[in-house]
Amino acid sequence: MIEYLTGILMMLGSLFCLVAALGMIRLPDTLTRMHAVTKAGTLGAGLVVLGHAFFHQQTGIFLRAGFIIALLLFTAPVAAHLIARASYRSGVALSGRTRVDELKKQH
Amino acid sequence: MPLLLLNIFFAAVFTLLLGSGSIGTFLSGFALGYGILWLSSPLYPETGYFKKLPKTLKLAAYFFWELVISTLQVAWDIITPRHINRPGIIKVPLTARTDLEIFLVANLLSLTPGTLSVDLSEDKKILYVHVMFLEDIEKTRTGIKNGLERRILEVMRS
Amino acid sequence: MITGEIFLYQAGQVSMALLLAGMILLLWRLSKGPTAADRVIAMDLLSVLVVTFLVILSIHTRETSYLDVAIAYACIAFLGTIALARFIQKGSRHKQPGRDHRQKSDDLCENFPDKRSTHD
Repeated sequence: MIEYLTGILMMLGSLFCLVAALGMIRLPDTLTRMHAVTKAGTLGAGLVVLGHAFFHQQTGIFLRAGFIIALLLFTAPVAAHLIARASYRSGVALSGRTRVDELKKQH
Repeated sequence: MPLLLLNIFFAAVFTLLLGSGSIGTFLSGFALGYGILWLSSPLYPETGYFKKLPKTLKLAAYFFWELVISTLQVAWDIITPRHINRPGIIKVPLTARTDLEIFLVANLLSLTPGTLSVDLSEDKKILYVHVMFLEDIEKTRTGIKNGLERRILEVMRS
Repeated sequence: MITGEIFLYQAGQVSMALLLAGMILLLWRLSKGPTAADRVIAMDLLSVLVVTFLVILSIHTRETSYLDVAIAYACIAFLGTIALARFIQKGSRHKQPGRDHRQKSDDLCENFPDKRSTHD
């Protein structure tokens, strides 16, 4: 029974990872691409690690899996924020669909 | 926070006494210890621990739910051939004051639906947020303030 | 019980194929990326995919020590991303004035020290 759960979580997670990679190709500008990376990537990796934790059901594996999930959850937004600020300040063009840019008025 | 340490200590003792070192035992020990501490709560008059833990759990549940919703929304835009995104950068005035509060708001915001914190103003009072599906600017702004920020401040300040 | 094992085996194969497809797409973005920031994000997501791949490999081969490799890789990848983000920010100082339309380079130099201390 646990094999089915793990297999489904694994496939769902890697599907989300694929969607994140596809988003890198399809989305129009750097900041929207970053949305795909932080959300879909984190959730996909988290689901796979969760599947692994369910499969083995040992304390050590649970702790390591929890550590990986915590690591992904804490590092993804920090890295995304740093890259977003750096790229905005170095003058990356926003996509033509952008409606409003309230940060631009400040500078 | 000594009550949290005491609670973890209870759970550790419970796990060691039962001798089966699994996470399930530890969690049930934690729940049992929480119940015991709650029964003896008149002994600790000025602690916010019993209000803080349920609020933290509520924030975590809300946050994971939002993470799933946001991923589905972004995934839908990526998979379908027509783009539905209307990106934009808006400013959100912060009620959060200390560095830890601002850190939590900015980072959790990056993981919730279609928002990504881009920059912080010089005086740490305005957060600039990149929104992916921007329908109504005012509604998005009040949504962030009343949804995520209010919940985080409730946990931090109780 | 045997059908469960077979299902898990096939699920592992399918997910590895999906991840490899994603990595190929990312390599395309990594070589093509119009700006340096795009390349850094592609690299970041690539490392997340490698971590996921290692975890799947750990389920597939029943070898739990791959999980430790995944932890170490995630840590190192985060440090690499931070370093590259700093590099982009530093690079923007020395840009010629015509290209940077939002902010003068003098302002950038002044803003960095106090901004950095509030976040790191």
